[in-house]
Amino acid sequence: MLKTVNLQKKYTTDEVETTALVNVNLNVRQGEFVAIMGPSGCGKSTLLNIIGLLDNPSSGEFYFLDKEISKFSERQRANLRKEHLGFVFQSFNLIDELTVYENVELPLIYLKVGNAERKQRVEQVLEQMQIAHRRNHFPQQLSGGQQQRVAIARAVVSKPKLLLADEPTGNLDSAHGQEVMQLLSSLNEQGTTIVMVTHSPTDADYAHRIVNLFDGQIISENVKELAIL
Amino acid sequence: MFKNYLLVAMRTLKRNLGYTSLNVVGLALGITCSLLLYLVIRHELSYDTFHSKADRTYRINVDKISAHGPESNAGTPYPMLAVLKASLPELTPATHLYNEEGGTFTVLSLNDQEAPRKFREEKNVLFVEPAFFDLFDFPTNGINGKQALKDLNTVLLTQTIADKYFPGENPVGRVLRMNNLVNLKVTGVIPDAPENTDLPYQMLIDYESSKKINTFANDSWNSTYSNQQIYFALSPGANLKQAEDRLNEVASKYRPRSPGEQERYTFQPLTQVHFDERYGNFKSRTISKTTLWAMGLIGMFLVLVASINFVNLATAQALRRAKEVGMRKVLGANKQQLMTQFLLETGMITLTALSLSVVLTELLLPSLSKLLELQLAFSILRDPQLLLFLAVLLVAVTFFAGFYPALVISGFQPISALKSKTATARAAGLSLRRTLVVLQFTVCQVLIICTIIVHNQMEYFRSASLGFDKEAIVNIPLPSGKAKDLMALRPQLEAHPAIKATSFAIAPPSANIDMNTSFRYDEFSVERNFSVNMKMADEQYLQTFNIPLLAGRMYEKSDTMREFLVNETFLRQVGETNPQAALGKELVINGNQNQGKIVGVVKDFHLTSLRDKIQPVVMSTFTDIYLSLNVKLEQKNAKAALAHLQNVYQTAYPDDVFHYEFFDDSISRFYEGEQRQAYLFKVFSVIAILIGCLGLYGLVSFMVAQRTKEVGVRKVLGASSASIVGLFSVDFVKLVLIAFVIAGPISYYFMDKWLQDFTYRINIGYWVFLAAGALTLLIALTTVSVQALRAAFSNPVRALKTE
Repeated sequence: MLKTVNLQKKYTTDEVETTALVNVNLNVRQGEFVAIMGPSGCGKSTLLNIIGLLDNPSSGEFYFLDKEISKFSERQRANLRKEHLGFVFQSFNLIDELTVYENVELPLIYLKVGNAERKQRVEQVLEQMQIAHRRNHFPQQLSGGQQQRVAIARAVVSKPKLLLADEPTGNLDSAHGQEVMQLLSSLNEQGTTIVMVTHSPTDADYAHRIVNLFDGQIISENVKELAIL
Repeated sequence: MFKNYLLVAMRTLKRNLGYTSLNVVGLALGITCSLLLYLVIRHELSYDTFHSKADRTYRINVDKISAHGPESNAGTPYPMLAVLKASLPELTPATHLYNEEGGTFTVLSLNDQEAPRKFREEKNVLFVEPAFFDLFDFPTNGINGKQALKDLNTVLLTQTIADKYFPGENPVGRVLRMNNLVNLKVTGVIPDAPENTDLPYQMLIDYESSKKINTFANDSWNSTYSNQQIYFALSPGANLKQAEDRLNEVASKYRPRSPGEQERYTFQPLTQVHFDERYGNFKSRTISKTTLWAMGLIGMFLVLVASINFVNLATAQALRRAKEVGMRKVLGANKQQLMTQFLLETGMITLTALSLSVVLTELLLPSLSKLLELQLAFSILRDPQLLLFLAVLLVAVTFFAGFYPALVISGFQPISALKSKTATARAAGLSLRRTLVVLQFTVCQVLIICTIIVHNQMEYFRSASLGFDKEAIVNIPLPSGKAKDLMALRPQLEAHPAIKATSFAIAPPSANIDMNTSFRYDEFSVERNFSVNMKMADEQYLQTFNIPLLAGRMYEKSDTMREFLVNETFLRQVGETNPQAALGKELVINGNQNQGKIVGVVKDFHLTSLRDKIQPVVMSTFTDIYLSLNVKLEQKNAKAALAHLQNVYQTAYPDDVFHYEFFDDSISRFYEGEQRQAYLFKVFSVIAILIGCLGLYGLVSFMVAQRTKEVGVRKVLGASSASIVGLFSVDFVKLVLIAFVIAGPISYYFMDKWLQDFTYRINIGYWVFLAAGALTLLIALTTVSVQALRAAFSNPVRALKTE
């Protein structure tokens, strides 16, 4: 599904050059659930952003669906994003001005999905996330757990091949956190590839493989379960 | 997609109601002003464009260069038209127009039982030839004008006059007596003249009848009268320049030029008559293209100032939208889609402001029409041109105000946007905001400086000494050629205790009547190549108007020209340095017709408005052409005195209508155009400042909100409230100062040019600039302080807790 070869990322400001990622070689296969762990500032989110096509690497190669895309333009990346990727953030990032239904509908609008099909798919995913009864509420009117369920609904409504989650339970209490992880796990079981950044060993337990990052380098990988590979 | 954009736009605008209202109100004010100015400009540009031959219709003017500068006049010699028709067939149709500025009209009754009704009109009685109807396309309601005015002594009444003179009656076939001289038969009723013509008329009378009314009419090529003009159409394919040369060539046979005399007949396009003050028009109202440009610029600037508010507020609060932008990008939205979304939002704000402007314009238009004495039309649905203007305005403002913020916001990097780390975008926006605020302050200061200067020039007009008294003097127009009738009753006239002095004359010292003649002075047998202005007045003129004599004495009472007075300018131009030296010298004027000795020299006084230089003047007596009685009154008994004057007047002229005007009123009318400009400047400066303040208020409130934490930290560290206010103010003080440096030279340049139009004008003092700078600073600081004080008095703990 995706592969990085000697991926590097440097941030340069006027005076300081900071290296966020050093020679990262990561391979994620179709159907895998990978957790990326490590201390704060180790480059987890940077890696996720590059995988999520929100950022370009400074050097190295990045293959997504067998295409080398590290030099893609913003427009090309935007197209890949809307067709193949779904995102879940720690802070939900729902659009406050839109209702639950409208938030979930948004990726389909950008994909130019027809009206009737859009309606049907949004309803289906809202049911699946058990949030349909809140479809006309605005994000501020929901609890954190509910908001994250909406965010996941929005991330999967376009049926992405790869779902990226950045600390999806970071802002939730443990009960709601567990609920969200179970949702992700069941999505993975249905075939969605998931790459998740997390601090929480409990959350990482849901993954097949844990990649440990330290100072921008992969220092170890723990493969939990080989059966599905 | 579009629906989604609209939805988000509406909800966002509703949620940030304060921000939305600031933008809408500011834009609505700006757009209203530009809309009003557009209506004025469009109206002014429409004068006489509705005639089908407008593009090839011309007026014949006279341009002269004499010793006291260029002279321009639209009056043509009376015999010219006949010559033109005979030798220049390509100038067809051609017509004389004679404009009589009012008169007395008596409706003759059908039977002897009924008393005749009398009316007085003050303006625009137009005498036309049949060709008038070939040349111009005034509405006639199906009446054949050529037929209706083909006979001598016929008149077409406009609807308004018909209703006034013949209420509920059919005027056709009835008889009007004009100035007790001519009986005119009404041959039809036509619609009122359109507002946008410089050939206004209350009635149209056959041209031949004017010869009995116009006392100046004669067959000489040497005299012209500005109310007697020629208009013609140039045949298609004919060459204008050649025709003009040919006319001058033919005319020179009839009017040989004296040596050194430079005079040329020129053709002025009909569509330019409205814009050239030098020649004037029958409407007595011109407006220069420069003034129209200035109005257009002011309109644009007001919209610009309001759009700047929009840009400033939108970029300042772009951070609030960062998360949404980031998320949309993550979901695959591209930059174009986001720009469309934000432009749409701007479009909605602009549309709301535009709708509000339409309502405001509807409300304000009557006052503006009254102020400018124009009938401005505003019927939005039946006016495709206006709709187009509004559409262009909508698109232009949307793009101007919305493009940059949309570009900034849509350019956010998704990751930084999601983390609200848009520091770079903010910094870039900040310097742009500063530039725009400087631009706003510059516009405001330029307008303030212009307002002060225009106001001062108006004050100068009001208070400058004109060289004569103008207070408590009334001018009473007399029927032409009949001054003697009232002069005979002079003892009776002056019997009232409130009447201090009376004088019969052709006109008061400053008036729109000009009589010019060539002259010979002393031993010079050759006529000088400058003409003198003739002031015909009786022996009590100087006393009535309190005009001082510098040398000699006032001339003796007489009915004809026997002795002369001259003014200081006259002396200078003939090279005399000592007033005493001129006394006793011989003066010959009007060809060789009149001759006499100079008996006195008067101090210079102004003959027209302060726009013009004082001309050389020769004064003498000539009872037959006196057209005005001037009476100095005791102010507190003016009412009784006027009643007395009316009594005596009616004894002398039982068939005429008594009418008077206070002299200072007629003088202030010289400056009506400038007074209106001054008023418009004031209104627009206030609005510009108001819009600027709205934007500033919004901007500062935003800055305060952004720097809440900084303010908290500073307060914890012991900063005083004053220093917090200073923190926010110092930036704006700098911007006002930069704007001041830009605004000063710009406004000086334009106002200096504007003042050049007036021969007598104020000096632009440096204090004007300082005052404008100080005023802007004060307004800016007050606006900033209101918000800054709120930050200064806030509880620092609360500010820091939000972290």
